[in-house]
Amino acid sequence: MDFFADGLRRGVELILGGDAEVFDITLLSIRVALISTVLACGVGVPAGFMVGTTRFWGRRAAITVLNTMLAFPTVVVGVIVWGLLARRGLFGSAELLYTWWAIVIAEVVLAAPIAAALTAAAVQGIDPRVRRTALTLGASPLRAHLAVARAARFALFAAVVVAFGRVLAEVGAAMIVGGNIRHYSRTLTTAVALATSQGDFALAMALGLVLLALALTVNVLLQLFQGRGDA
Amino acid sequence: MLEALGIEHAYGGRAVLSVDALELERGTVTAVVGPNGSGKSTLLRILSFVERPRAGAILLEGGLVVGRRERLAARRRVTMVEQHPYLFPGDVRHNLLYALALHGVRGAVAAQRADAALERLQVAHLAQRPARDLSAGETQRVAIARALSLEPSVLLLDEPAGIIDRAATAQLYRVLDEERARGATLCFASHQLEDAYRWSDRLVALAEGRVSRVTPENLFRADVPGGSGAKTVRVGPLHVQVVTEKAGPATIAIPADEIVVSREPLHSSARNEFPGRVTRIGDDGRGGITLMVDVGVELAARITPRALDELGIGLGTEVVLAVKAMAVRVF
Repeated sequence: MDFFADGLRRGVELILGGDAEVFDITLLSIRVALISTVLACGVGVPAGFMVGTTRFWGRRAAITVLNTMLAFPTVVVGVIVWGLLARRGLFGSAELLYTWWAIVIAEVVLAAPIAAALTAAAVQGIDPRVRRTALTLGASPLRAHLAVARAARFALFAAVVVAFGRVLAEVGAAMIVGGNIRHYSRTLTTAVALATSQGDFALAMALGLVLLALALTVNVLLQLFQGRGDA
Repeated sequence: MLEALGIEHAYGGRAVLSVDALELERGTVTAVVGPNGSGKSTLLRILSFVERPRAGAILLEGGLVVGRRERLAARRRVTMVEQHPYLFPGDVRHNLLYALALHGVRGAVAAQRADAALERLQVAHLAQRPARDLSAGETQRVAIARALSLEPSVLLLDEPAGIIDRAATAQLYRVLDEERARGATLCFASHQLEDAYRWSDRLVALAEGRVSRVTPENLFRADVPGGSGAKTVRVGPLHVQVVTEKAGPATIAIPADEIVVSREPLHSSARNEFPGRVTRIGDDGRGGITLMVDVGVELAARITPRALDELGIGLGTEVVLAVKAMAVRVF
């Protein structure tokens, strides 16, 4: 127990002392998570909107695929992206493997289906009269979609926050395609794994606490918006 | 003005609408009647370009409306108010201003049009109220005001009097009459036959998604006394002579084609004679004339245009309706 308490105490000291390593890793993690979330939502939200609002051939299959992708093991995504980015892979010439951009790519593949599935569920839950009414009042199809998005805005924000949370906490794919290279592709999760295996419990604890604080912030935001959505 | 040709529509494989031809003529009021599930709402949604039919075409002023741009342009001239209308979050006035902004009307002109429309539907006092605080009847009137503020060429209304009281209904139909006088084309779906006859020029009956040849008119619920043969049944203030074996609660139908219209009481075999006053004269859509006559209840009677001329019948003319007891159907 002393070992644990000691590690925790030294971890807190590292954070409060403004440790450069902890700061560096946190910054990179947030950058990767933010960029991944923006890209994943840029693809996932419109796709989810289409699945949720329009009737097209193969829609049910699309929903099944989306839901399956929610449960996609992250290491599998890591391996697939690794295969594509490796020197001999399809996109090897881009030389992205073991850079934080490689992590972004893997996280987008993981988070886009989440954004899409949650968006589809959000807009499906909106009263169909919203779109119809906008149309009867002379709205273009795009304006009618915006009216639906406005009605679903809290649930859509929740989709974005959940995608961000997923990206921030992901470790398997980030480790495989990023390579956990110091100052370069080391994120909070991969650093925690490494520090633990190297026996640097204090650093692992410090990074873990930062991750926990970020996850807490994300969830508080989520609760806040879901609460407003219910009102 | 607005024409539907060969419209077929289905939901999940179940056919819900099959209309060969239907035209809403400019400056007229068409009532679509029929029981729940007969396809009235679907028809209105298709006519308002909100829903695309599986097959068929809609023509606006003779021009086929197909492409995305054409449909958008058409939706800016044809508007619809749903049976249970939706108001956007925000106050009532915001709802009208939003609709006007979609039509490119903003600023002082929009404010003036919004206020005028609210005034016409007698809901100006609700202008600042949040939409979610309104009663169902208020919501409906605000939604109609929102549609009117757009000054549509064609206005489609699904059960406009479904939830508002009789006084508000009369007021509403007066406003719709003014719209017609302005040159607008109107069409409303209703299950209230009395309203349909009273306020429309033409009646279209839908049954199971198809335009029905038989218009369900002069239908009344009544209690039929026991016994057999000729009986007297009370329908509101009327005493109607019928011949039936049936007893107890029943539906009484007086076929509009079987009613003889005259200016004076007749010496005839008809057991039923109802004096009344003509309240409406309309085209029946089949080359005949439908008269609505207030005889204590409203009865529709069908005559030829020539008979209308020869009898010199106009609005308010006192007439006598005669119908044989045998012609009154009881079921």
